[in-house]
Amino acid sequence: MDSTALLEIEDLEVTVEGRKILNGLRLSVPRGQVHAIMGPNGSGKSTLAHVLAGRPGYEVTGGRVRYAGKDLLSLAPEERARAGLFLGFQYPVEIPGVNNVYLLKAALNAARTAQGQPEVDAFDFLALVREKMRLMRMEDSFLSRGVNEGFSGGEKKRNEILQMLVLEPTLAILDETDSGLDIDALKIVAAGINTLRSPARSTVLVTHYQRLLEHVVPDAVHVLSRGRIVRSGGAELARELERRGYDWVSGEAA
Amino acid sequence: MSALLERIAGEAGAAQQGLPHRDARRRALEALTRQGLPSARDENWRYANLRSLERQRFTPASGMVPASLELPPALPGFTRCVFVDGHFDRARSAAPGPPLAAAALERTLRQGPDERFSLLNAALAAEVARVKVAAGTERVEFLFVASAPAGAGASYPRLEVEVEPGAGLELIERHLSAGSEGGFVTSAVEVHLAAGAHCTHYRVQDLNPRSILFDTLGARLDADAHYRLHALHTGGQAARSTLALTLGGERARVDLAVAALGERSQVQDTYARVEHAARATRTHQLFRGIAAGRSRVAFNGKIVVAHSAADADSQQSLRGLLAGPEAEIDVRPQLEIYTDAVRCSHGASVGKLDEQMLFYLLARGLARESALRLLKWAFLEDVIAGIGQPALRRQLEARLARLLPEAAPEELP
Ligand SMILES: Nc1ncnc2c1ncn2[C@@H]1O[C@H](COP(=O)(O)OP(=O)(O)O)[C@@H](O)[C@H]1O
Ligand SMILES: [Mg+2]
Repeated sequence: MDSTALLEIEDLEVTVEGRKILNGLRLSVPRGQVHAIMGPNGSGKSTLAHVLAGRPGYEVTGGRVRYAGKDLLSLAPEERARAGLFLGFQYPVEIPGVNNVYLLKAALNAARTAQGQPEVDAFDFLALVREKMRLMRMEDSFLSRGVNEGFSGGEKKRNEILQMLVLEPTLAILDETDSGLDIDALKIVAAGINTLRSPARSTVLVTHYQRLLEHVVPDAVHVLSRGRIVRSGGAELARELERRGYDWVSGEAA
Repeated sequence: MSALLERIAGEAGAAQQGLPHRDARRRALEALTRQGLPSARDENWRYANLRSLERQRFTPASGMVPASLELPPALPGFTRCVFVDGHFDRARSAAPGPPLAAAALERTLRQGPDERFSLLNAALAAEVARVKVAAGTERVEFLFVASAPAGAGASYPRLEVEVEPGAGLELIERHLSAGSEGGFVTSAVEVHLAAGAHCTHYRVQDLNPRSILFDTLGARLDADAHYRLHALHTGGQAARSTLALTLGGERARVDLAVAALGERSQVQDTYARVEHAARATRTHQLFRGIAAGRSRVAFNGKIVVAHSAADADSQQSLRGLLAGPEAEIDVRPQLEIYTDAVRCSHGASVGKLDEQMLFYLLARGLARESALRLLKWAFLEDVIAGIGQPALRRQLEARLARLLPEAAPEELP
């Protein structure tokens, strides 16, 4: 076991509506690394991401998750977020009537307050958001819109990355942030993810295709199948998967 | 006659002796006793807390103006008029209150059965708040203060609005309490918009949590008149608002937006009836209600399209949010259509806070209470955003921010 790991998942078992979805999943993500989790549809990738973020409706029936030395599963979702865990949603929800920029500021201040820092100055905040928006090539009008309201699929994903850039999480779990993006948007999103790479931070990229991994080269790739990691390797594993398909690993595991 | 009605007739009859226009008042009281009081079996009165009437005294309060009275800050550009228990408060007002005319009381007699409480008001109203705009656009704010505790008498505020052809009015009507004791208020408002007139009417019902309110608003619109009504119902222990709007002239148009908040054991009941009586008339009705605690919040939006109202257009969007396990909320669109060429659309829904939205906000680190409050706020946004007076909107936003109940999700059913 890697003692420097930021995220340490041991034998995680998760049941949803009476069905076992994760079945003895083990995963260790050291600080400073980007790990990709790949797997066929329905293999439990989003379930894993949601359980780590604390979404209700999942029953953990076994195993442990340690994050930055804490027992992650004992924390409320908002406490996990304030402790630096960020989930980029596969399907970000639209919240009409809640202003985008308001949410960004409330989220940033929640984290700062939890860390004993003062609330962000309004002027500095706007400057920060504008800078990150330029990076994500988002228009100013976005600031005054409702959260994800009327956004295209690609805009929603870019918005997730924008939030991540503003919040600067210690651990980002990005659930299929690449799906539904055209090649230009994919490059923008990848650039956003890469700007946060640092020795202190880790990223878990949940993805179905290896396309994103051409732009964000992972330190490790894991294949999830039927609720557990069936194979791990380096960046080259993603390319091999792309060539040979998931049946190759799934079959091997069976 | 029920024992209650008999008591009302007795108390009102005696009180009328000392008031001007006794004939008109006597006729109003007779009409009320003839019609009788509504009962909870009446479809349009199901949610009103009619039983609260049993405990009331109907004799008008004396209108003793308290020496100290905390009023909301004045709004720039608006002329303020203050009434305490239906009596004009000259010292706190910027304009003189005109005398009450018998004709105004008589008009009440022509109203329909849902407007019965305006008869009680006509029988006992002391002075009338009146605004008449002949030309241009005016801005007036009426503050109706309920001061007397229920045991010391009732409050009968009355407001009459006349906007002449082509003229405009921005009107603020607020109901509030002077102290923390519960009062009994029966208010009546009558609005007439002549041809091409326009009026934006903000109604803020912010009585203290022990007050009882029966409120009736009647509006008639002539051709091409445009009436925008924004109402915010947050106060009172039990409050019933009856809105009866008639689109009497061609192309007349009403935009109605109502937000109601209930908490504890509050009752917020609104019945809005819009009658399309002429060609090409339009209604847009918006309701957003939140029921927390053990409160009951109801909105019954009835649209009647008469035979004479071809090409009428009505839209209703009525939504209720259930924010407590023992709360109750009901939104009901009703259509009664007597002609073919109409467009009527309605959406009505009642639900809990969206779990996915809540989780999204939590996953961004917001405290649970803040997230819940934010979602409730967002729910009301359609109504709040329509308040075109920035200073008023800010006041109301601040008020709402303090009021929004923060139900824990475990409490949600
Ligand atoms: N809320 C839920 N209710 C019932 N079944 C679910 C729910 N969420 C996920 N599942 C099931 O769990 C399995 C894994 O789903 P998911 O984690 O979304 O997979 P992936 O993200 O890898 O496509 C699927 O069979 C899916 O149908
Ligand atoms: Mg998924």
